[in-house]
Amino acid sequence: MTALARNNVHLAGSGERTIIFAHGFGCDQNMWRLVVPAFETEFRTVLFDLVGAGGSDLSAYDHVKYASLTGYADDLVEIGRDLGLQAATYVGHSVSAMIGVLASQKAPELFDRLILVGPSPRYIDDGDYVGGFTAAQIDELLDSLADNYMGWSAAMAPVIMGNADQPALSEELTNSFCRTDPEIAKAFARTTFTSDNRADLSRVAVPTLILQCSDDLIAPLQVGAYVQRHIPGSTLVQLKATGHCPNLSAPAETIAAIRSFVGA
Amino acid sequence: MSAPEPAIVPASTADDYADLYENAPCGYLLIQPDGRITKSNATFSSWIGYSAAELVGKRLHDLLNIAGCIFFETHFAPLLHMQGQVSEVAFEFITQTGARLPALVNAAERRDADRMHLSTRLTIFNATERRRYERDLVEARARAEAAEKQLQARLLEEQETAALREQFIAVLGHDLRNPLAAITSGVALLRRAPLDERSLTIASLMQESASRMAGLIDDVLDLAHGRLGGGLALDATKNVAVEAMLNQVVAELRAGAPDRHIETQYALTEPVTLDPRRMAQLFSNLLGNALTHGTPGAPVRVTAASGNGAFELRVANASALIPPAVMERLFQPFFRGADLPSRQGLGLGLYIVSEIARAHGGTITVISDATETTFTFRMPVTAA
Repeated sequence: MTALARNNVHLAGSGERTIIFAHGFGCDQNMWRLVVPAFETEFRTVLFDLVGAGGSDLSAYDHVKYASLTGYADDLVEIGRDLGLQAATYVGHSVSAMIGVLASQKAPELFDRLILVGPSPRYIDDGDYVGGFTAAQIDELLDSLADNYMGWSAAMAPVIMGNADQPALSEELTNSFCRTDPEIAKAFARTTFTSDNRADLSRVAVPTLILQCSDDLIAPLQVGAYVQRHIPGSTLVQLKATGHCPNLSAPAETIAAIRSFVGA
Repeated sequence: MSAPEPAIVPASTADDYADLYENAPCGYLLIQPDGRITKSNATFSSWIGYSAAELVGKRLHDLLNIAGCIFFETHFAPLLHMQGQVSEVAFEFITQTGARLPALVNAAERRDADRMHLSTRLTIFNATERRRYERDLVEARARAEAAEKQLQARLLEEQETAALREQFIAVLGHDLRNPLAAITSGVALLRRAPLDERSLTIASLMQESASRMAGLIDDVLDLAHGRLGGGLALDATKNVAVEAMLNQVVAELRAGAPDRHIETQYALTEPVTLDPRRMAQLFSNLLGNALTHGTPGAPVRVTAASGNGAFELRVANASALIPPAVMERLFQPFFRGADLPSRQGLGLGLYIVSEIARAHGGTITVISDATETTFTFRMPVTAA
């Protein structure tokens, strides 16, 4: 199976330049559905699902490979090379911010700029470093994911029906969005929330924009500031949007911030 | 005559609606797009331990444990944005006293005509009992999976041990043959030498023991090969001279029991394809058993017939009833009846008989009553 099929890659738009969007922990590439169309007239756009999420090939899920973000970064490099990407713009949300940082070190030719939406190089506090979570809280998260096992696996499907307000949302989409194999969800949560990529920040060698939400519990202000301090020459823009998903809650503001950075 | 039905008065006053809202058996929350609470009902207020006024301005985050907050941000909020509503999500609220309140939450957005997000309505159901039950289920499943894994591992181990044991038997049996062959030929040479009568008797006994031992080794090897190779291999021959083959076995066994009477009756009208060496082994086992276990003085009756596409061999001897418990296990390996220890073999004879029958696509059955026991072997005239 090719990387493009494995990661459920979708291409749209047209233009000289390419922009690739990566979703974070929780859902799938549909997280970008309110943002991507704004770039389709000037860019070739690339969307994909991390292995284990959305329409990716679940049989490709390897517990050893994906126990660290490096496994996901390797996939991203494969996708980039299969598409022949050169100097593309990378937009990574949540955990995919760090996946992009790792991939740009492995294959510097792929991306000429990075946009990190709600990035965190480490979620668990460590000495003076404030990540926002204690190890005990992350353990509780991993345990409590089981509480939604039944809800998020089989039983959820009939409950999530198409919304009459949003007829474009097909049933297939609603059934897969945010749903995955419970074991994979738990493993991905472990990989995400126990990751530590602080040492990788200083190695970023391309212009980088950090989009920081105003009231983001998962990537709080101090974390965004830390990322900005450690990525040489990076810019931080604080959005008015609250929460962890400005791509859904404030698409216009998100689009504008990305646009001004890529000069579109 | 039925009693007059009480009149139903529709809830019409604002008071009724307010009561339904405030004291419904579920919690109600209204939150702004930025996540801050604007309204709550009395039920939720009493569960969580904050007054309605205290709740206003709090964010849902402030009422959830950290795990719930992460789940809210990464799953609940995106789903709500995408679909406008979410159902049956498990959360744990932290009450004012720090206690946990397991709940199931449904949410639906309220949007205006321009699809502008105005607020989100939440209903909260107390799920303390349900959560305990669900966790028990998840734990039970984990335990069952662990037990299953353990069982599989043990089974695999047992299978490996059994395979090793059978290989060992095969190798041992094979290696015993050579020294035994040396003993047999040595004894044969001795018997040809001039010996006194006592020495000749001893040599004859030795030869008999050696050939019995060779038979036991053959049985063990058949068992091992049958087990290891998934059945005995046949060397099937067409138009076997069945009568001559059977007569030879009868003559051999008669020599060992000269005082016993063996009656034979053959009606072989159709040519038979089988492995003559294996069939002789099968017959020899059945006839040997009949001579050993049958009532002394009573004849052993052998009948063989072929016709209508089938070959049948029967060996019957006078005997007492074989108890059903013994009958059941007769064809299992290493099974021995209540014989005198000196007459016991390995208990492989009938097992090998049944394996030979199976290899020929045939069956072996036994019938026993108070006076007689009959073993019947049947197969198609051409070995399957």
